[in-house]
Amino acid sequence: MEWMQLPRTWLALLFAGLSPAVMAEAPSVGETCYLDGWHRPLLCHRLALTDAPERPELAVMVAPAVSETDEEPLYLLAGGPGQAASDLAPLLQALEPVNRQRDIVMVDRRGSGRSGAFRCDIDEQLSISLEEFAQGLAGCYLARPEFADSLSSRQTVDDLEMVRRALGHERVALWGGSWGTRTALLYQQWYPESLSELVLDAVAPIETKVFLTAQAAEKALRKLERDCSRDPACARLGDWREQLDQLLAEWDSGAAHPIPDPLTGQPAAKPMARWELANGIRAMLYDPVAAAQLPFAVTQASRGNFAPLAGLSGAFIHAADSMAMGLTFSVACAEELNRITAAEVAADSRDSFLGTAFYDLFRRGCDEWPVREKPYREPAPRDHPVLLISGEADPITPPRYAEEALDYLEDKQHLVVAGGGHINSRRGCIPRLIADFLAEPSSKLDVSCIDSIRRPPFMAAEFGPDLGAVGEMKPGEGAQ
Amino acid sequence: MKRIKAMLHGPMGALLQKELLETWRDRRALWMAICFSLLFPVMLAGGSIFMLKKHTEESTRLALLGADFAPLLADRLRSDSLQVDALEEGEPQTLLAGDYDLVLEVSEGFAGDYRNFEAPPLYLYIDSSASSSGRAERHLQERLGALQQLVVQQRVTARGLAPQLLAPWRLEVRDVSTPSRRGAMLLAAVPGLLILTLFVASLATSVDTSAGERERLSLETLLMQPLPGWQVVVAKTLAVASIGWVGALLAIAALVSLMPLMPLAELGIQQATTTAGVVTMGLLLLPLALLVAVVQILLALRSQSFKDAQTQLSILQVAPVMLLMVLDVSRVELEGFHWQLVPLVGQQQWLKTLLIGEPVPVLSLLAGSCVTLLLVAVAVRIGAGALRRENLLSAT
Repeated sequence: MEWMQLPRTWLALLFAGLSPAVMAEAPSVGETCYLDGWHRPLLCHRLALTDAPERPELAVMVAPAVSETDEEPLYLLAGGPGQAASDLAPLLQALEPVNRQRDIVMVDRRGSGRSGAFRCDIDEQLSISLEEFAQGLAGCYLARPEFADSLSSRQTVDDLEMVRRALGHERVALWGGSWGTRTALLYQQWYPESLSELVLDAVAPIETKVFLTAQAAEKALRKLERDCSRDPACARLGDWREQLDQLLAEWDSGAAHPIPDPLTGQPAAKPMARWELANGIRAMLYDPVAAAQLPFAVTQASRGNFAPLAGLSGAFIHAADSMAMGLTFSVACAEELNRITAAEVAADSRDSFLGTAFYDLFRRGCDEWPVREKPYREPAPRDHPVLLISGEADPITPPRYAEEALDYLEDKQHLVVAGGGHINSRRGCIPRLIADFLAEPSSKLDVSCIDSIRRPPFMAAEFGPDLGAVGEMKPGEGAQ
Repeated sequence: MKRIKAMLHGPMGALLQKELLETWRDRRALWMAICFSLLFPVMLAGGSIFMLKKHTEESTRLALLGADFAPLLADRLRSDSLQVDALEEGEPQTLLAGDYDLVLEVSEGFAGDYRNFEAPPLYLYIDSSASSSGRAERHLQERLGALQQLVVQQRVTARGLAPQLLAPWRLEVRDVSTPSRRGAMLLAAVPGLLILTLFVASLATSVDTSAGERERLSLETLLMQPLPGWQVVVAKTLAVASIGWVGALLAIAALVSLMPLMPLAELGIQQATTTAGVVTMGLLLLPLALLVAVVQILLALRSQSFKDAQTQLSILQVAPVMLLMVLDVSRVELEGFHWQLVPLVGQQQWLKTLLIGEPVPVLSLLAGSCVTLLLVAVAVRIGAGALRRENLLSAT
């Protein structure tokens, strides 16, 4: 793994923060099957689609409820856009209490996972240059321009509705993660009658321009600074934030350094580009475990030791495997990049460590991915019970989105996890809160238990966290 | 059919009526049957509720000695299932004898050695004779293991290596059991207990109707009636079997109605017993109830006294259940067709299958039941022969 390969890592981490699953042989209709990350058997269906010349099939995987009840099933909607719902299998562990009474259904949307993943296979050719990356994408687009243009949120939502009818479900509950929350919110707009309640983790509201991520990433980094300064061991690292800014500022003028491969230990031939470094830092903020090591890694890098930074990047290496890049660009270019103005980019990137590093990747990619615009209508009021979950330090879908852009939802509750990153459904007592919400969606949840979800201990030195230092203690705090 | 009708209108009918009346009039025997029938379903339901509650709600109390030497450790060990009390001093043995499940001791210099990569020891005091010891140790290992993994991950990262280098492969476990089949473990004892219910519920009646009548000298009067011996045995068997069978039906009804209260879904088990399955369970126990009744009557008749009969039958009620248990643990393959023909074993296998909602092969069910009924007929014949022997009446 070289840093030049990292863009695919970041693409994978744009939205989803869940462990990926490896593709297995596709099962036939209604067969018993398994997904990596979950030990119990599932029922797999393949539903034929007749509206496309390629006559694709949708892969549908059902974790049957332990007890047969008439509770609405819970459909899981994956992030990306480009992640497959079948990659969410590890989430079934956390959703086990829900699964006792309800079927849990995963539908790989068209162009993802087992439903004909639209991969671009440009990983091998991926180069340090944004230009070469864009050229790779262009080749991918030109191979299947009509298919690229056909993929959209509308199509995914219509497919989900088709699956709901095919499985004979009267109404369904939805769990959406990251971009999956956008799909869920659109489903709510277009098929309100088919829906009972929504659980949205890392919320991407319909009208929010989630690809403008520089301010969100900056705020997440500042939350990390705040929490680090409150931790005695981390505070001793000094002003790592200033060191990071300096590193980024001077990167192109001599600070750039080749970084060893975190898997093989082989030195890289060339240093990475500045935009790659900035995006790498942004990606680390998704996961509090990685973020807790960032201050130390930055202080080391500023002294010329890039090993910790290289090690940190290693944690994300295989996260990219699950993303179907063709699908990602088809949806992102038609539904997000199309509505972002230059002025908005300028305002978003101002005074941020990320600048336009993330946006540029997509802007340049979308230039080579000329799909039609597919704008949404203004959302109409809806009264389904909705549980919103946000990480306080999420670098892409901060709590602000759920607070400010969902006024049209009449019945909502919002959980904010202190110091939380992107996707929090598996942490602490949140699985139980989700189960409680689904059992009694109209009741107000007692959310006091989320105070005990904390950041992992910061890395203090080469030995790891400082067990001899007094951790930040608040009254009534439990462990993470 | 006509012959049976004629028989029931004749002296045999009167005899049967007398036997049934005596059986169901005996309140003590009836109460015993009812109590035992309800006892095990209630115990099974209560036990499973209690076990789950204990498993999920009980937390471990850990006394941490020397917490000041590693404050972060103390802070990060706490969880919903692990209550950590930092104590300045204390004797592990005394603490374990008190409220604490575990005592963890951090020695002076721990933090320094840890920073120097000297792998300092942590001393864990346990009381392996305490029932909570295993659970407590598991709770601690879960927290300590997670913390250890985090430290190792950070150490590896600090040296520029990807943390996944520590995991050369990923073991993906795939459980082939179904939610209904997972119930087999919990419900494993039920068939044996249902069969035991047959024995226990009919015990008092069978002793009373044979050895009891002999002691009350009413058996002699009965045998002087112009009735073939087999009819006497059949009438008594039907009366005794009726109470045993109703007892077993009551146990099945109690079990099925208590199932929704049991935390089956929490244990990943689906309640799969169907109505048809419950009816079949009731019906398949009928031939066995007859066999148990006739064997009990025969044994009681050949016993020396009422007390002797009670002793013999008490042993008899345990023996078959023990036999079934031994067969179960000896891992004998009991699913073959020939095993289904063996009374008790057949019924046990069918009950096991029906409890988890799976169908029983009709052929083996019918064949097995026929074998049981055939044995009932043989036993009735033996009984009739025994009644003809004069020494039977002289036993006191």
